[in-house]
Amino acid sequence: MTADTHATTEYEVAQLLVDALHLEMTAEEIQPEEPLFGEGLGLDSIDALEIALAISRTYGFELRSEEGRTHQVFASLRNLTRYIETHRTK
Amino acid sequence: MGGAASYRLVPRSADEVVFRLEGLAITAAMFLDMARTLANELPDGRFVVNLCNDRLDFAVGLAAALMRNQVNLLTSDRSPERLRSLQKRYPDVYSLSDDPALTSPLRHYHHCAQPPRPSSLQLENPQIAAGRLAAIVFTSGSTGVPMAHEKSWGALVERSVDAAARFDMTQSEPANIVGMVPPQHMYGFETTVLLPLHVPASAWCGPAFYPEDVASALHAVPAPRVLVTTPLQIRALLQAWAELAPLERVISATAPLFADMATAAEERWNTRVFEIFGATEVGSIASRRTVEGDIWTNYPRVRLTEDAVVNGPFAVPHALSDVVEMLDGRHFRLLGRRADLVKLAGRRASLAELNRILTGITGVLDGQFVVPADLDRRPTARLLAFVVAPERSAHEIMADLRGQIDPPFLPRRVIRVDELPRNDVGKLTEQALGALRSSLNEA
Repeated sequence: MTADTHATTEYEVAQLLVDALHLEMTAEEIQPEEPLFGEGLGLDSIDALEIALAISRTYGFELRSEEGRTHQVFASLRNLTRYIETHRTK
Repeated sequence: MGGAASYRLVPRSADEVVFRLEGLAITAAMFLDMARTLANELPDGRFVVNLCNDRLDFAVGLAAALMRNQVNLLTSDRSPERLRSLQKRYPDVYSLSDDPALTSPLRHYHHCAQPPRPSSLQLENPQIAAGRLAAIVFTSGSTGVPMAHEKSWGALVERSVDAAARFDMTQSEPANIVGMVPPQHMYGFETTVLLPLHVPASAWCGPAFYPEDVASALHAVPAPRVLVTTPLQIRALLQAWAELAPLERVISATAPLFADMATAAEERWNTRVFEIFGATEVGSIASRRTVEGDIWTNYPRVRLTEDAVVNGPFAVPHALSDVVEMLDGRHFRLLGRRADLVKLAGRRASLAELNRILTGITGVLDGQFVVPADLDRRPTARLLAFVVAPERSAHEIMADLRGQIDPPFLPRRVIRVDELPRNDVGKLTEQALGALRSSLNEA
């Protein structure tokens, strides 16, 4: 993370989800603790792939499947934001 | 027809590699040992729903069930509703999974395959009759009851042999497959589980979901490498930065691959891109190299009749639900699919059935699913649903739909309206729905 990168906000990641997936909702409507997949936002595995592409474009790192971690990363907007914050390169 | 009346579970030499993980090659002997170990532990029952996520766990589960004379039920839809409907039909069914977080409404057995130590190897490789029912694969029916498609062992084995001939998988050059499709899907089942069991090929069992996973997986397996994937995943791989190890071949299925994307993939990875044509009911039946045109060539021993009935060794004849133009006995062109069918994420649903579920929800007086026109081209395109439900919120309706509908077909948005613009005979025309949508967008 470079010095001039600001901290990743939940709003910014919510906006990335809305844009990448063309969700018919606003970023404010995504609840930080609500599950993104299944219950909650109801995203599926194709969406996960799209989110991964958007993340690599915006934040400069590639998502990988990690033993048992993938579910955790996508568990909620809050978790995803935290994950991006610790892995981003731009 | 193939002459043999039975086939070995794994008709390969003991030391041939059937599955691969990072730093580990699972030979036929090791695989059979793992299957025997699990077979000794499996519960009694004639049917097992194999829900394992990991490809190796799935394959070991499949083989163990066959050793125990059990029939594998394969369903992509793992909603409690679907599992309960399977139980109604197969009362003694139990579920098998490697996911500790899975809650199954069925009698459940948890397993996670551990590679055996070489010293404990036991080599039991049973003969299985060609006509024996090995697996049942399900599609969503138009009446709410899942449609069962029975696969005999002989049909599965012979189709693998056909695929190996088509894709040059030979004893001297066994293919190393990295598959991005789940094993419960007929396409993934055939290409990443059955091929390595029956023909000279191995399949990768580590992660292969994100582009970065796939790049690592391809580096981890020897040449010749075959990537088994889908159009959406090819698109993601082309957009990612990942460098791929030399690829002998890319195989795509589940949705049409557009020629420009096939060309881009062939150039970027210096490879050849093929598509398989098939359906859950009949499995893989034909292939084409996408850049060469729109004509499909049948697998060597698959025959299509004039009215598109598929015949193959030991397989139940089945009429395709797609509209095809027969060119000769071995070639055909696809003209389209039935209007009622929606395909998403490699799965099919019937619109009539989705609408039936929607209008069956408490408080929903009328309802209709709408398919966006660019569903095949836009990866993020999903269905919408219009409902007349004065007493219920969109949120509550979504909650009720979950558990009844396979997730990819859940509407991205539930739109409440005062009434649906049905015509005199109660039909909703595309035009009327289009007008309704644009009036909402303007509001």
